[in-house]
Amino acid sequence: MTHKAASLTAALMLSTTFVLPAMAATPEDVVTTYTDIAEATYSDSLSTAEALRDAVASLVEAPSEETLQAARKAWTASRAPYQQSEVFRFGNPIVDDWEGRVNAWPLDEGLIDYVAEDTPSAEDNDLAQLNVIATPELTIGAETVDASQITPDLVESLHEAGGVEANVASGYHAIEFLLWGQDLNGTEAGAGERPWTDYAEGADCTGGNCDRRAAYLVAATDLLVSDLQEMVANWQDGGAAREALEADPQAALSAMLTGMGSLSYGEQAGERMKLGLMLNDPEEEHDCFSDQTHLSHYYDGLGIQNVYLGRYARVDGSEVTGPSLSDLVAASDPAVDEALKADLDATMQALTALRDKAEGGMAYDQMLAPGNAEGEAAITAGIDGLIKQTGSIERAVAALGVRETAFEGSDSLDDPDAVFQ
Amino acid sequence: MARIALIVSLAAMLAASAHADTAEAVNDVILPAYDELAEKTTALADTAAVDCSADALRDPYQAAWDAWASIDYLAIGPIQQNGRALAMSFWPDTKNSGRRAQQALVDAAPPAIDDPQAFADLSVALRGLGGLERLIYPSGVEGDEAVLCRLRAATAADLARMAGEIRTEWDDYASMLLDAGDAGNTTYLTADEARQALFTQVMAGLEHTADTRLGRPLGTFDKPRPERAEAIPAGRSLRNVRLSLEGMRDLAMALYPDAPLTRAAFDRAIGLADDLDDPVLAGVAEPAGRLKVEILQQAVRATRETMQAEIGGALGLSVGFNSKDGD
Repeated sequence: MTHKAASLTAALMLSTTFVLPAMAATPEDVVTTYTDIAEATYSDSLSTAEALRDAVASLVEAPSEETLQAARKAWTASRAPYQQSEVFRFGNPIVDDWEGRVNAWPLDEGLIDYVAEDTPSAEDNDLAQLNVIATPELTIGAETVDASQITPDLVESLHEAGGVEANVASGYHAIEFLLWGQDLNGTEAGAGERPWTDYAEGADCTGGNCDRRAAYLVAATDLLVSDLQEMVANWQDGGAAREALEADPQAALSAMLTGMGSLSYGEQAGERMKLGLMLNDPEEEHDCFSDQTHLSHYYDGLGIQNVYLGRYARVDGSEVTGPSLSDLVAASDPAVDEALKADLDATMQALTALRDKAEGGMAYDQMLAPGNAEGEAAITAGIDGLIKQTGSIERAVAALGVRETAFEGSDSLDDPDAVFQ
Repeated sequence: MARIALIVSLAAMLAASAHADTAEAVNDVILPAYDELAEKTTALADTAAVDCSADALRDPYQAAWDAWASIDYLAIGPIQQNGRALAMSFWPDTKNSGRRAQQALVDAAPPAIDDPQAFADLSVALRGLGGLERLIYPSGVEGDEAVLCRLRAATAADLARMAGEIRTEWDDYASMLLDAGDAGNTTYLTADEARQALFTQVMAGLEHTADTRLGRPLGTFDKPRPERAEAIPAGRSLRNVRLSLEGMRDLAMALYPDAPLTRAAFDRAIGLADDLDDPVLAGVAEPAGRLKVEILQQAVRATRETMQAEIGGALGLSVGFNSKDGD
């Protein structure tokens, strides 16, 4: 898809030399760019998840501090493209229905493995201390589950066990927990400190059941790879997500802007940033085991900007670009386009500063500590930017006249309300 | 030219009438509701300053929550500042963050309890109506009665402080809504944006009522979750639904009075809530009781759809992004 989008861009650049740029982009072109970016983003998520699977294989084959660190690095690398894909969630039901399998949080990690004694869990979650790794035969409600072999199928079947969302058995955060362990430092410095010996064989094994822990990690990583394969296919030529959008470009524009707005406001600014700040509770941190929440926020913000500007920088350094929402909005109302571009830019500056502050030594959970005014200011700047850009996204929806489309229903939006959820 | 002038003046008239409905929503519904909230939380704090026993606070506490329930759906303006929306009533608290933080506070009994400014910086989950509920009804938070008493007074005073600030700051925010489109008003560029913001609040509030306030205890047929209802210790689960529906109906009718279908849909849902003899929605655990709560939930959803078609259709509004978007 990259070459298709790139050649379109080249054609566009040529044509803009001679005609008004406002005439250049059509909704169809813009939808093509969007679906190309989605395909590239999920493809990069897949290739980096495959690298993670390789690193996990090395870890369980030859457990050591080095192989554990290498697996953690691979996890971090795999998050960069995936978080940029979150903007495709809201507005694309096919993604939203799927994403709980790969990126659910917060989790009651005691479902998976040993945890500290006073670990808080979701209210009335009977399975918060299930500890699959230590328990070959599980009791879930009235049911007995054979967990003697930890397979991708078993992990998949345990996801949201007992109907409790906090029972996250699969996905990035389950893997993160298995690589880092619990962060028991509260709002003090330090991330999870799981020792590599949690994967050691024989007498060196710490934490018990090292072979089953290794099996769980392998199964969860295999499952992540197959889940991402499924999503890449949805965005390839003929894939369901791509076809749904191509069938109705006006509805697709609405879905694109909905994804940007819902992620900006209710999800990222609200659930993920403001809530943690207002609770001063590291339990509300998105990547709480690895202390890499700042990276998640940064790449979420970047994904939103990618969609608007119609460009995505791939992990191999190449770029996917094409006619963008920005082009369309500029043709309709240049002031709205300028304001939205400026807002997205300001948000990315704030999220970059937040990222750099965390990488510079003040971890995200430390920023959540009561009385840490500097940390609070850094997070608040990101929240304010996201809220402000949401207002401009609303104006872009109005400028493109795609508001009503969302309510008329379409192939891509079988539930007329789904677009605003 | 004459025709153009006519069109322009017609547009101006329409614009003027557009301001009128926002004005009614603000002046007849929102500001009086926040007046009431400030008054009732102040009465609560005044009582607590004299007698901070749990017994003394229950009546003024219930009155304060009544006032809050009537306007709790509104998530724009001053309520969004400094985390006030979360701090007024933090629910659902899926990880028991409030009880954990509150118990730690009771155990440590730090000076922050008696320092309003420091108290205002504490976790939203231990403050507000939910926090006070745990201190005046059985909740599992335990400790020295003298400390609990101080904490009750501090929580009540904090509620009154927030409600007062919200009401004061609404004077300026009201001007932004009413003077939408004026030079320098970067929040609302047009009267339509102001209306859309208010419309969105009711639509999101109805969704929250159906999906969360009623949906959480309903759980699934196989696994109902009565223990997940809101404000069970205070016995307010259903009352909050009913009062919030009334508040939303008032705002919707102020925004667009000529909406008989929407009014009837609201009245039907409110009537169902009135007839439901199940204050903490415990009935969801039994098929017969569950059906009644499901019928109420469906009526709330039907109200939302009716309002979207009737008022949204008439005013050309759609639901904007709101704080309930996301998971």
